[in-house]
Amino acid sequence: MNERRYNIHIAAGGRELVAIDDFRLTESSLTVLLGESGIGKSLIARAIAGLLDPDELDVQIDSRPYTEYLKRQETLEIRRDGFFVFQEPSSHLNPLMKLREQLDEGSLAAAPDDKQFLGRLWRDATESQIRNILEVYPKPYRPSGGEKQRILAAMAFKKISTLDDAAPGTLFVFDEPTGNLDDKLRNEFLDLLAENMKNRRITVLLITHDYSLIGRLTRSYQAIAKRIVFEELVLHRGKLGLRRFEPEEYLSWLEERRAATRAPVKRESVVTLKSGPRVFGRTLIFSSDPNGQRQVPFEVRRGSLTYLKAPSGTGKTTVVKMMMGLVKPEHMSMSLGDATYTEHTPRRTWQKQVWGRRMTMVFQHADEALNQNAKVRDVFAGLPSSRFHNDDTLRQALSEFFDLESDFLEKPVKHLSGGQKQRLNLLRCLTLETDLVIMDEPLNGLDFSTAVKVLKQIEERLQAGRSVLVISHNEEIFDALVPSENVYYLTASV
Amino acid sequence: MTDKRDNMATSTPVGNQWLRGLYRRKDALWLAIWLGGLLTLWVWNMFFLNTPALWRIQKAFFNSLLTGSMVVVLAVGLGWITGVMLHMLERGEWKGVYFVASFLTNLLRSIPQIIVVLIGYIALTILLAREVIHSSFMQLLWIASTIAVAVFLEVADTVRARIEYFRTLDFVDAMLCCGISESRIINIEILWRNSRSHLLHKMIALFGVSTFLQCSIDFIISVGLSTDVSLSNFPLTLGSLLARLDSKQDILAVSNLFSDPGYLPVLFVRHLQGLSVAFCIVFTLLCIYNIANGYVRRHRIA
Repeated sequence: MNERRYNIHIAAGGRELVAIDDFRLTESSLTVLLGESGIGKSLIARAIAGLLDPDELDVQIDSRPYTEYLKRQETLEIRRDGFFVFQEPSSHLNPLMKLREQLDEGSLAAAPDDKQFLGRLWRDATESQIRNILEVYPKPYRPSGGEKQRILAAMAFKKISTLDDAAPGTLFVFDEPTGNLDDKLRNEFLDLLAENMKNRRITVLLITHDYSLIGRLTRSYQAIAKRIVFEELVLHRGKLGLRRFEPEEYLSWLEERRAATRAPVKRESVVTLKSGPRVFGRTLIFSSDPNGQRQVPFEVRRGSLTYLKAPSGTGKTTVVKMMMGLVKPEHMSMSLGDATYTEHTPRRTWQKQVWGRRMTMVFQHADEALNQNAKVRDVFAGLPSSRFHNDDTLRQALSEFFDLESDFLEKPVKHLSGGQKQRLNLLRCLTLETDLVIMDEPLNGLDFSTAVKVLKQIEERLQAGRSVLVISHNEEIFDALVPSENVYYLTASV
Repeated sequence: MTDKRDNMATSTPVGNQWLRGLYRRKDALWLAIWLGGLLTLWVWNMFFLNTPALWRIQKAFFNSLLTGSMVVVLAVGLGWITGVMLHMLERGEWKGVYFVASFLTNLLRSIPQIIVVLIGYIALTILLAREVIHSSFMQLLWIASTIAVAVFLEVADTVRARIEYFRTLDFVDAMLCCGISESRIINIEILWRNSRSHLLHKMIALFGVSTFLQCSIDFIISVGLSTDVSLSNFPLTLGSLLARLDSKQDILAVSNLFSDPGYLPVLFVRHLQGLSVAFCIVFTLLCIYNIANGYVRRHRIA
């Protein structure tokens, strides 16, 4: 199989955004591009697909101006025959056209019927339910993020179906196509992608920071197994590079973790939340089985890792925000140590007794959880019982997670990559000596090696007798780490 | 890429780049125009205005500038404290205290600013008559404090609006959950780190408002506030200088142009005191208005 190699440099306003000297794409293959978020994966893909604006960005490919690259035959073919599924689906959809119209727009009109793709991507929906979704405009009757992602995936598969026997040059890019999908839908999407690859010689670039895709891709698609390549974009000492990622690296680690996970020793409860709290007009039920048959109180025990699972939109984040006193419930009863917290507990009490003292929480989106106008040093200022007495202790703690440049502490948070922000977001809470740390999607945007470091820190915390509660869509990883006794399932009823 | 930038840098003179940058940054451009205009006026007056009059204009300008600056500092301090205090009271459990504080601030808001300043001048007159205040600086400080009381609620409103906006973002809750104190989050993270440009814009605008209020009130009180205290007892400011008889005559001389256009060159050498003061006031207000607008555009302040 041929490899296409690119030398890509992108800058804006004199600031270098991406510089990589040997980015490779294997033709007629599925290249899974891994790496932490914000490192430049999307920008590289857009550059290759010819989607950057040379007036806005200073782009050079193979040391030639981008305008020359845009005129190359292969670039013209990519733009004519290929497809790009954007990470943020809203940016792809026209708010003034119904989804149905957009599915039939331009070259997609020539495609055979799209019923099969839509039926698979909306597996549990009836035909009329799907029709209803297609009759809405992206705004103001906005479909959910997951629905938009599925529409874009359907468009891409439709486009593939227009190609009789696509030339190997035809590039299809899927940028975080499963970010808003639950495991079932994610697998359905991967099945469709594998079937399309089996029938056609297309080149696919799948960008993701979700390492749990690896297991599915390596185990389930034997027909295209030899055509799947895993690459990881890494930043080392300020330099961007591509390294071949061996799936075994992840899979064997996962197996080891699975083997090391033991049934928990019953210790005293740190937090107990009675099942059936009401919030936003819904009653939330905790159960110890996926079908919601065995209703139980939600309990986090000392020194344990607890995992709260539910389909997207059920209210996992609402539950933990309620536990933290950030969302006011209509009814709740939670015991934390000797104290009981209810819907009547005043905010002052949470502030004095709970926040940063008994419990803390890592928010889901590091971008929003950190003050973008602060410097790295400031993220750790004002914490109670902080171990960072001076820059040296702070640098030492950070060095476990970062390649520290001399001016790192002075860097504004807004100039860090998404993955770096997530590391800061985690580290801020991990340094606190609270009984419980709640982590909402802790592995979001991290590369594999950092994710392993984070999980090691969690383990050390557990060994010190502190507890961790996790919400995560990385089910494969946390199912391996958390004993089934500590897994809770959440359902909601009106 | 580096080569390309270097080439661009060498092909464009540095001076041109600086001027282009200045033209793009309208606030900096108008600041330059303001300073340039005042400098030109000063140089002109050095040649054509008699020394005592020039000294008076310089003193009046300096005093007005000092008062405006003090107003800005005092208003920002008062507004910051009031805004944060109202926010804390609103979210806290002493709702009664909040309603009283809220009522009092709204009461102050309902009084026209010029009336508040006038009351301050009346109080100053009493203090001067009783010889409680002597030094010019203390008088200016009193005037500045009075104007600050009239305008500080604008800062308080900005402070509250910024806090309310950031309350909706995750980073505030994320910091609270880490045990970081609310006062640190509000004062440092929200107001200092995320609202400096908003507050600076407000400060520029307040400087303009204070200049306008000072001149207006000086003109109003030029008729006299009491039998013992008159305008001549107050420190010299641009407004009070303009309100003097000789300055007014200079301004009235402009009307000569209607009957005798050839009088124009004479205006710029013979009636300089009044015209210079009027120019200083109008030109300053115009420039501050444009500096504030340019700053808003450059920093995309909503």
